[in-house]
Amino acid sequence: MFITALPTIAQMVGANRVLRGVSITHPTGDPSLAAGDEHDLRVGIVRRALDMLTVEVEPGTVWELDG
Amino acid sequence: MDGGARMTVVHYLNQFFAGLGAEEAADQEPVRLDGPQGPGRGLAAAGIAPDVTLACGDDYFGEHEADAMATLLGWLDELHPDVLICGPSFGSGRYGYACGVLAREAGRAGVPVVAAMTPDSPGVLAAEGAAYIVPTGSNVAAMREALPVVASLAQRLAAGEPVGDAESEGYLPRGLRVNVLSERTGAERAIGLLLAKLAGDVRTEVEPRGDRVPPPAPVADLAATKVALVTEAGCVPQGNPDRLPTRHSNVWLRYPIADVDSLDPDAYESVHAGFDTTSANADPNRLVPLDAARALEHARAFGALHDVFYTTSGVDTPVATAARHGQEIAADLRAAKVGAVILTGT
Repeated sequence: MFITALPTIAQMVGANRVLRGVSITHPTGDPSLAAGDEHDLRVGIVRRALDMLTVEVEPGTVWELDG
Repeated sequence: MDGGARMTVVHYLNQFFAGLGAEEAADQEPVRLDGPQGPGRGLAAAGIAPDVTLACGDDYFGEHEADAMATLLGWLDELHPDVLICGPSFGSGRYGYACGVLAREAGRAGVPVVAAMTPDSPGVLAAEGAAYIVPTGSNVAAMREALPVVASLAQRLAAGEPVGDAESEGYLPRGLRVNVLSERTGAERAIGLLLAKLAGDVRTEVEPRGDRVPPPAPVADLAATKVALVTEAGCVPQGNPDRLPTRHSNVWLRYPIADVDSLDPDAYESVHAGFDTTSANADPNRLVPLDAARALEHARAFGALHDVFYTTSGVDTPVATAARHGQEIAADLRAAKVGAVILTGT
């Protein structure tokens, strides 16, 4: 599965499991958060990525971080 | 072709359109029939009469593709057609697939091929750009509209005459780029495309060539699965010891993380030339979420984290190079029995 802040490009090139990342320059983090909160966010992102790996998807499926 | 003794036109049909029967004849082995059959008569009326009709049952082709293809290609080899016409197969999956496979192999053997089917037919992918495919409606009602377009293309291909681009000729883009002289400069054409897009008419001169693969099956048991981290974000050990190119990368690299719990900024950095790396270099876990993946591994959210991560710089990379990187990394992952990948991109 693919974590990226540019999901439409991921879809265009044929990615099937796409999770929208936080931003282009830091897809799995957020410098505006306190360190502990950012770590929690990242654990949540990876957990959501793992969830996406365990379900059937249609081609080009994009998930948001909260869902 | 009518009146043209030097030209040979071959037409491929399934059992139904060849008049051999419906589903009860779907196991029909390939047969070779003289002259036009079924829609071939419409082609004849449109000016291009098939000399020989090849037909095969849809199920037979699907279940014995190698045998069916060997027979059909053997006949084509004997006949040396100036053009092969496949279908129209409309929205039929099995028939469309057979048309696409035959079109591909005949096209690669140097026979000009015209097929006709719905744009989402599996035959379009199967043909891999080796044939001219006329888009049709989903059922036989579209025959009347399709045959003249098919006949026109086939006539010119058989005569060795030039065929124009996909848009003006009405066939599906084949994924080929052809050099042509244009009376308008690139800037003028680009502005034209932009204005058209603003008016709601989205067009392109370069159709992206998608490499579509079906979504892989879900991971059945995460607790028994080895998960790998892969990135195109240019993440490397501090100082870039292996000189990963910052753009146009023609290599990918792998680095051991068996004893690493987090991508410490003193030890790792990004050399990617395509984005501002300031916040990523303050904490490279923002690109490759190793600290979170390690925490979840310890919490037994999945089996184990693969003991290396893979990296390249995805900037200005030609598609062919990126595809090779993907295939090579995938082969390495398979050899390591990795069952799932989290890929991060910027």
